[in-house]
Amino acid sequence: MTVVTLIPLYLIIIMAFKPGNVIFHGNYLLPSLKLFLGNFKVVFESAPFFTYLVNTVIVVSGILILQLVLIIPAAYAFARMKFKGSGILFILYVIQIMLPLEALIVPNYMIIRKFGLIDTRISMILPFIASGYGTFLLRQVFKQIPQELEDAAIIDGCNHLKFLWYILIPLARPTIVAFSIVSIVTHWQDYLWPLIATNSPEVRTLTIGLGMFVQQESGADWGVLMAATLFISAPILVLFLALQRTFIRSFMTSGMKG
Amino acid sequence: MKKKYRSPRFKPYLFLLPSLIFLMIFTYFPIAYSFFYSFFNYSMYTRKPIFCGLGNYVKMIHDPIFWQVVYNNVLYGAFTIFPTMFLALILAILIDEVKSLKGFYQIGIFYPTVIPMTAAAMVWMFMYDPSLGIINQFLGLLHLPQPGWLGDSKTSLLSLIIMAIWKNLGYYMLLYLAGLQLLPKELYEVADIEGAGWFRKHYYITFPLISPTTLFIFIVSLIQSFKAFTQVYLMTQGGPGYSSSVLIFYIYENAFRYWDIGMASALTSVMILSLLFLVLLIFGVFGKKVTYSLV
Repeated sequence: MTVVTLIPLYLIIIMAFKPGNVIFHGNYLLPSLKLFLGNFKVVFESAPFFTYLVNTVIVVSGILILQLVLIIPAAYAFARMKFKGSGILFILYVIQIMLPLEALIVPNYMIIRKFGLIDTRISMILPFIASGYGTFLLRQVFKQIPQELEDAAIIDGCNHLKFLWYILIPLARPTIVAFSIVSIVTHWQDYLWPLIATNSPEVRTLTIGLGMFVQQESGADWGVLMAATLFISAPILVLFLALQRTFIRSFMTSGMKG
Repeated sequence: MKKKYRSPRFKPYLFLLPSLIFLMIFTYFPIAYSFFYSFFNYSMYTRKPIFCGLGNYVKMIHDPIFWQVVYNNVLYGAFTIFPTMFLALILAILIDEVKSLKGFYQIGIFYPTVIPMTAAAMVWMFMYDPSLGIINQFLGLLHLPQPGWLGDSKTSLLSLIIMAIWKNLGYYMLLYLAGLQLLPKELYEVADIEGAGWFRKHYYITFPLISPTTLFIFIVSLIQSFKAFTQVYLMTQGGPGYSSSVLIFYIYENAFRYWDIGMASALTSVMILSLLFLVLLIFGVFGKKVTYSLV
């Protein structure tokens, strides 16, 4: 089974390094003996893939940073403060978990257009930053931290912000890391929203770039297409292989229910 | 102690405010917007929206394409959710029991979740190629019929389903693996002493006890099945005909090809309501029946 699931990755890698005219000669399942880089040369010469990479990194890290800035205080309020309306407000965050933003592209497009933000990098970031899922996940962790710790901290002169910064965030680190990894993986894949929110290559991301590349190079050889495919997946794959354990643990706990 | 200049009663709201603003702008205002404009004749070509009551909904239920798209979405959902969940659970049990190479199996099955859907679509388009693709070459070796996959209206949706199973399997497997770690080991020891076989053991112990995880995966994969856009857009454009189009793709077409915002809003409203309805239904029906872990 594992061998079957690995076939697509294997094909991407071996085909990316083979010249187009020999791919279908003989048995294409065998890797070529020489490392052929010509496909990558074609890829970079015909589309601005490095710009796409830079944009993707900006968008993905922008989303993550703003998400953390917004959801950590929200999760803190829900976990450790008593206030009127907390129940109803929390339901608003939970409902958002069930409604993927993909469902709301039409109204969101009209909103971004009203703000005059069409075709900007920020337009690809803003709709995702108030993550109900992240708020929910962090609230669970913040709740588990014993009240005595908070009392002790307050006696020592901590206010809410200090308590959050010096005690809760370090204690919740594994969950914050897990959320960050899931967020990076998710938004590296974003396609539909960037597709409609942007239209010029200067701001577009890798996934959109690959989609346009295919249309532009229709009939191009598979070696070139696989080289582009490998290029857009490589950063996230390398990160995954480098941090295997963290990745696996993050996705395992991503479904944690409390 | 210095007197605070701001009443602490405001504090929680201050903590919530930033995220709440964005939640309102990009989730709740859009929902209201969709419901509102679903009652209007609103095209980007006509400048002003004109109220048309249920006009868009009437048009929708008389639109055969809409029903085809809904039917496809149901098929796509049913045939991605249940097979993937079943396979994921079996694989999780096997990987949990295996002694060596655990990491290799986990990575090999999980990596499709990590790579972008765009990349996955690309390589599967190659694998589905009717003459050169690895799938038909393999079927040819076995002298089996070689379908047209993405290019044939009978198999285009099936092709997307098979790829979706491959893409999500690893994630659900990991969720199941996490769930398995919480099950009490003593039950299995007792079952071993009583001489229960592998199949009976998992049928009577694992399946019922893992049901909270199953419920969670059910909900996650249901939401996933409504999000299937990238692969449809890149691999089939909903075709041939409308044979592989799904609701989200139809919304996209109405809004950004025909610029019919009224109809797209009506479709969006239908999607929001059916999604919330299904999630609540699943919680209502299974939420109580779920066997919670003994600990």
